[in-house]
Amino acid sequence: MAITHQFVLDFLHVRQAGEAEKLEPFLDDNVDWLISGPVDFLPHCGHRKGKAAVIDMVCRIAPDTFEARNFEIKHLLVQGNYAATMSRFHATHTATKRTISYRSAHFMRFRSDRLIWFRGLIDSLSATEQFMGHELDLEHTPDVISIAPDGDLIEV
Amino acid sequence: MTNPVSPAVVQAFYQAYATRDAARMESLVVDHVRWTIIGPSQVLPFCGEHHGKAAVLKLFTEIFPGIIQFRSFEPEVLLIDGDRAAAYLKLTGYLHKSSRIITYHCGQFIRFENDKVVCYSSIIDSFDAAEQALGHYIDPMHEPVPAAIDPQKAVVEL
Repeated sequence: MAITHQFVLDFLHVRQAGEAEKLEPFLDDNVDWLISGPVDFLPHCGHRKGKAAVIDMVCRIAPDTFEARNFEIKHLLVQGNYAATMSRFHATHTATKRTISYRSAHFMRFRSDRLIWFRGLIDSLSATEQFMGHELDLEHTPDVISIAPDGDLIEV
Repeated sequence: MTNPVSPAVVQAFYQAYATRDAARMESLVVDHVRWTIIGPSQVLPFCGEHHGKAAVLKLFTEIFPGIIQFRSFEPEVLLIDGDRAAAYLKLTGYLHKSSRIITYHCGQFIRFENDKVVCYSSIIDSFDAAEQALGHYIDPMHEPVPAAIDPQKAVVEL
């Protein structure tokens, strides 16, 4: 059965609220979830596999990272079992209380009314700059860490 | 909402897009089209806002070809809903300036009016794309040093 716009909006609302018991019925046991971005600096990014991992990300990691999360949806498309949104995400960065706002796109596939596949794209360069509170120096080449200082040999 | 866009029009748009065919694209966008590529414009200068048909056609005839040669275009998801289409696709291209190949996923959202594009927005994982284009890691912990002001040259106009 094809999903509806209202069904997708309900899912997005539950996701934004981050309530595990309400989110659980929307997720397939084997849900495959990926938000692209530098996971060392944006902890809500990365790959999650399975319902428990996604619930942990949506209901613990994301709320710990952001306060007052809100997705301002610009586009919502639904066709068959697929949905896509483009939004502007607004929140407060919990650790620094900085206001965060960046654009994101979500592509979703549902199976039997449960999310089975999720791909998120965010303007991760802008998001990282806002998290860090300064512009990123793109010309700066980080020092390469030597794993074999002083000519030591590494046994492989 | 305006009239629904037909799959044939969306297919024609993507054929023109994938082949960077400006002549075909010319007939598929309105004069006042708004074309937004969200991404790291510092390293991928085709990113940014392009307003109007002339600016969009320049993107296809001059700006893209001067920066990147697209090698592959792999749509993974394509949706059509009412007057809109959205796609999740994987792009691979060769950057002329650095001689690097970059590969990234792209989300595209297009709104049509009377079978012509009025609004195009795309988004990529801009941090990853910038690292690929630069050819080195970006260190978010490194804070740029503000440019020093030369007191001999500094002029303050009041």
